[in-house]
Amino acid sequence: MTAYLDHNATTPVRPEVVDAMLPWLRDGYGNPNSVYSLGQRARAAVELARERVAALLGASDAGEIAFTSGGSESDVLAIAGGAWQAHDESKGKRRKVVTTKIEHDAIRLLAGQLRRRGLDVLEAGCGADGVVDASALTAMIDDSTSVVSVMHANNETGVLQPVAELAAAARAAGALAHTDAVQSLGKIPIDAKSLGVDLLAVSGHKVNAPKGVGALWIRRGVRLSPLITGHQEKNRRGGTENTASIVGFGLACELAGRELASAHQHALALRRRIEAGVLLVPGARLNGRPDLRLPNTAHFSFDGVDGHHLVVALDLEGICVSSGPACSSGASTPSHVLTAMGVAAGLATGSIRVSVGWGSTDADADLLLAALPKAVAKLRAVGAAA
Amino acid sequence: MSRRRVLVAMSGGVDSSVAAALVRERGDEAVGVTMKILARAETGFGCCGSPADIDDAKRVAERLGIVHYVSDMAEIFASKVIRPYLDAYLGGTTPNPCVECNRSLKFGHLLALSEAWGCDAVATGHYARVENGRLLKALDPAKDQSYFLYSLDAKSLARADFPVGAMSKDAVRAKARELGLKTADKAESMETCFVPNRDVRGFVAANADASAPGLASGPIRDLEGRELGRHTGLASYTIGQRSGLGLSGPEPRYVVRIDAAANAVIVGGVDELQTKAITVGALTFNGERNGGTLRAHVRIRHRHIPAAAEIELKSDGTATILFDEPQRAPAPGQSAVIYSGDMVVGGGTILRGEP
Repeated sequence: MTAYLDHNATTPVRPEVVDAMLPWLRDGYGNPNSVYSLGQRARAAVELARERVAALLGASDAGEIAFTSGGSESDVLAIAGGAWQAHDESKGKRRKVVTTKIEHDAIRLLAGQLRRRGLDVLEAGCGADGVVDASALTAMIDDSTSVVSVMHANNETGVLQPVAELAAAARAAGALAHTDAVQSLGKIPIDAKSLGVDLLAVSGHKVNAPKGVGALWIRRGVRLSPLITGHQEKNRRGGTENTASIVGFGLACELAGRELASAHQHALALRRRIEAGVLLVPGARLNGRPDLRLPNTAHFSFDGVDGHHLVVALDLEGICVSSGPACSSGASTPSHVLTAMGVAAGLATGSIRVSVGWGSTDADADLLLAALPKAVAKLRAVGAAA
Repeated sequence: MSRRRVLVAMSGGVDSSVAAALVRERGDEAVGVTMKILARAETGFGCCGSPADIDDAKRVAERLGIVHYVSDMAEIFASKVIRPYLDAYLGGTTPNPCVECNRSLKFGHLLALSEAWGCDAVATGHYARVENGRLLKALDPAKDQSYFLYSLDAKSLARADFPVGAMSKDAVRAKARELGLKTADKAESMETCFVPNRDVRGFVAANADASAPGLASGPIRDLEGRELGRHTGLASYTIGQRSGLGLSGPEPRYVVRIDAAANAVIVGGVDELQTKAITVGALTFNGERNGGTLRAHVRIRHRHIPAAAEIELKSDGTATILFDEPQRAPAPGQSAVIYSGDMVVGGGTILRGEP
C-alpha cells in the first residue's frame, strides 16, 4: 500500500478525467484548427474546456484563457512575454521586473536569465512567517517597472501571499501584475478579477488532470510577446492544441469547482490530524504562519535530520512525501524558501513537506504518523554519529 | 532464508551494477544508493558520484527494476576522506583514500543509514569475500580489493555483502551485457576517483592552503646530505618515485625518504629502496596470536604480492614488521595489510621503514 502525501508535487488523474480524455486520443484526433467537422468537434471540446478553466478562475470571459504546456510555461509567458513587450513598447524605458525570493524555480531561474539579458530584476524577501514583505516589494515598483510577479500561495509552506495589495501597487505604476496560482488551484477559491492581477498562471497536473497542460489567464487588452509563435490561442501561444489533455484539464477544473468547499474541509481535517501527530515528534516544528495557509499543505523541520534521507526512509515504508520542491539530484541544500524565511541551514535541510489532496485518507495519515517518529529517531542517531 | 533488504552502493560502474543485479536475482530487495561525494555538481570529470555516474547508476537501477536514491555525502566525504588525503600529501606521506572511504563512508555513514532505512546489509561491487565474519581475498587474484577493506570492523563485516567477490572481471562484464546494463563496457576507474585527470599534484595545489608547508620548495639531498637540487613541495613526492626530480647524473635516483621536519626529499639508488622492516600504526588485528609475535604475509600496496614476515605486535597499537626478504619502497601513509593465507587478519598505516 502506498500513502501518497505529496499532492503539491503532482496529483493522481481522476478516473472520470481519464475517461473524458480517451475519445480525443482515439477517434477525436482532428486538429482543432481544421475546417472540416472532425476539426470542429475538437475545437468545440477545447472551447468547452476553456470555459471550465475560466470559471474556476473567476473569469467571465473564456477568451482570456490561453492554454500552455503547464505552469512553468504559463509563468514564463507571463513574465518574459510581459517584460519584453513592455520593454519594446516603452522603447526600453520599462526595464525592471519585480518579484520575490520565494517563487517557484521556474520564475527564479527566469529572473536570473532576464538579469543576464540586461533587465533589472529585483526580488523582495519575506518574513519569518513566510509572507512576502509587501512594503519592501512596493518600494521596488516605479514607472520603469514592466512586470510584478508574486505567487498566490507558496508551494513549499502553503503560505498565502498578499497578491491583491501588490497587484494594486503594480497597476498604479502602470506595470503588469502576475501571480503564479499553480498551487492554489482547486484548493482555495481564486478570483482573478477581484485579485486585480493582469496575468494568472495555473497547471493541470496539480488539480487531478494530466501533466503537460496548463493555462495563463490574460486580462483582456494585455499584450504579451509570445514565447512560441504561431496563430493558435489567438497568436499568444503557437502549437496545435493538446486536445485530450485540455479536455481533461477542463473537466478537472469543473469537478474541483463543484467540490471546492468539501475538498477544503477534507484537506483541512487531514492536515490537522497530521500536524497534531507530527508535532509530537521531539524537535519538530511547523514552518510558515499557521493561519492563512493552503488547507492541504504542512511543512515541517526536524533538527539533526537530513530531510532527503527522511524521505527515503518513508518511501521504503510506502509513504510519499517530499523534502522541499521535487528534485531528484539528492543534493542536501536548504530550500530557498526556508532560507528567505531565515531558517538556519541545518534545520532547513531537515525538512519535509506533507500535502494531501483528492483521494487522501485517514489511513494515509496514520501510516505516516506511525512511521515518522521512528524514522526521525533513527536518522538522528546516524547524524549524531557522523 | 527470508527475503532481506539490501542497500547496494551503486557508483555507476559495472561492478556495483552487477552487484545490484545479483542481489535482486537471489530474491532479496535491492535498494540502490549512489553517494554524491563532491559538492561541485558541475565537475565534469568522470568521477564517482559525478552527475554522469549518477545517471548511469539510475539507468541501471531502472533496467533492473529496483529503487534508487542519491545521498548527498559531500560534507562528510570532504572531512573524512579529502581533508586527510590533502594533509597526508602536505605532510610528505602517501595517503590511501579508498581505505578511508570504505571505513568512514561505505561501511561507516552509509552502513548506519542503511540500518535507519531498515536494511539488513550493505552490498558493494568490491572484489573480496566474507566468510564466517572474516574478510577474504577475491577469487580472482588480479582484481582482489581486500587490501582496501582491511579496516572494516566485525560489525561492518557482519553486514558487508560482496556479490561479485567470487567472480572474475570477465564474468562480471558478461553478466552486465547479458542483462543489457549500459555500464557493461564502461572503462575502469583506476585512480583516485575524486582527483580529475589523475593530476594529484594539481588537485593538492588547488585544494590546499597556498601557504601550506607541503607546497614550499626545499632541498633534494642524497643520503650523505648533499644538496642535489630543489623540490617543488613535499606534496608532489612519493617513496619510490623516479620521474619529476629534475636530477641529472649517470645513476637513476629515486625518492627513498621524505623528511618533513627538514622539508627535504632524500634520494638514493635503486638498492636503497629495499626495506627490511616497517613500523605500522593505527593497527587493527583479529587473528590468532602466539604471544607478541606471529608469522604472516604482508601486503604494502595494492597489487603488491604479500611478503612473508615476522610481526611483532606492541601494546601501544603499533607493530614492527620484519620481512624475510627486503621489500621495495614501502611508503609511509600507505596501508600494510596482514594476511593469513587468503584471510585478512589485520593491518595498519605505515609510519616508517627501516633499511
